[in-house]
Amino acid sequence: MSQSSESSASMENLSALVDGELESEAGARACGQWRDDAQARATWHAYALIGDVLRSGDLASTAERDCSFLLRLREQLAQEPVVLAPAELAAPLLAPLPAVAAAGGSRRAWRTPVAVAAGFMVVAGALVVTSVPGSLPFGSTPTVAQAGPAPVVAAAPGLQAVSTTQAETAPVRLNGQLIRDARLDEYLSVHKKFGGSSAPGVPSGFLRNAAAEAPAR
Amino acid sequence: MTATDADAPLIERIKRGDVKAFEMLVVKYQRRIERLIGRMVRDTDLVQDIAQETFIRAYRAIPQFRGDSAFYTWLYRIAVNTAKKALVEMKRDPLVTESARALRDDDDETSRIENELSDGETPEALLASKEIAATVNASIDALSEDLRQAITLREIEGLSYEEIAEVMNCPIGTVRSRIFRAREAIAQRLRPLLDTREGDRW
Repeated sequence: MSQSSESSASMENLSALVDGELESEAGARACGQWRDDAQARATWHAYALIGDVLRSGDLASTAERDCSFLLRLREQLAQEPVVLAPAELAAPLLAPLPAVAAAGGSRRAWRTPVAVAAGFMVVAGALVVTSVPGSLPFGSTPTVAQAGPAPVVAAAPGLQAVSTTQAETAPVRLNGQLIRDARLDEYLSVHKKFGGSSAPGVPSGFLRNAAAEAPAR
Repeated sequence: MTATDADAPLIERIKRGDVKAFEMLVVKYQRRIERLIGRMVRDTDLVQDIAQETFIRAYRAIPQFRGDSAFYTWLYRIAVNTAKKALVEMKRDPLVTESARALRDDDDETSRIENELSDGETPEALLASKEIAATVNASIDALSEDLRQAITLREIEGLSYEEIAEVMNCPIGTVRSRIFRAREAIAQRLRPLLDTREGDRW
């Protein structure tokens, strides 16, 4: 008796979860049921199917068909890296890092590390020597390779994770050319300790262009 | 709470690495996604392939899902884009019929236009599906007025438990229990039809 009422309560939780009306603790238990209990899986399917058929008769489908669809997908999902997206946690943790602030603030040029200035002078020297037309005024370039919105790192280094940065990281464009992407941002944010010279080995032509049209923050 | 964020608890779990929670969403939406793709592509095997790819793409992209729209709306867009891409890749093979083309433009989730039978659907599967639909409808008719109203307001009108509680003038706990009892009553009649051949396959 108590076992059946327990089972009934857990099925009622599944029903509430179908509707998104289950608090997180019970929701976690219901998800655990899906993982461990074949009957719970069949029940979840039945509830979802009932909803579909109520909305439209042509959504009726056999359990066998739906089940093979899932089994096939499960095999593919097993090949995928596990999704981890602690973006809400990562953002506030990373934001206070001083390097991130370099793109904003009126006196940013004076706050950047000496290493930036040194690196910059090398680039500037190259500019003077080559005098490429269309190069930018010196004052606008100290944030080489740091400009752009503060990158939000998807996960701490070492975790296998799918990046969350793509949607919110505006690419920097110069003369119509895309020169930043989410993966680069992630790389830069992870390598912040290098400060302004965080693009070692990149040709000076690239550096010269890097800070041109960083979006205003 | 509105119907918009009904999947939010599961999505939160997926984002924290729970692949099984994603499976639950697959089971919830696979029929709608397949029907949608079936209106764009005639070949049944291809419909399945595209539906599979849709879910894989959704899984990969879920960290970028911000909840600005309902999960299903987001998934729907992925399905349409995946199907379009597949069609472009197979341009030489005209798999899209004119009627499917016409449907595509004004199609929406709640459209009740009867989907034509896809080419590869077996008569047995069609018959079984019709039986399932008939059983669900008969079970709904057999429900008490309270239970029928509760599940109709939820599944067809898309109201939240809170809204249903207002409409039916009863506590939210009662709404929850009525919807569950309605589902169970229908599921009981349905179970003989839903037994998968190999038993525990789910």
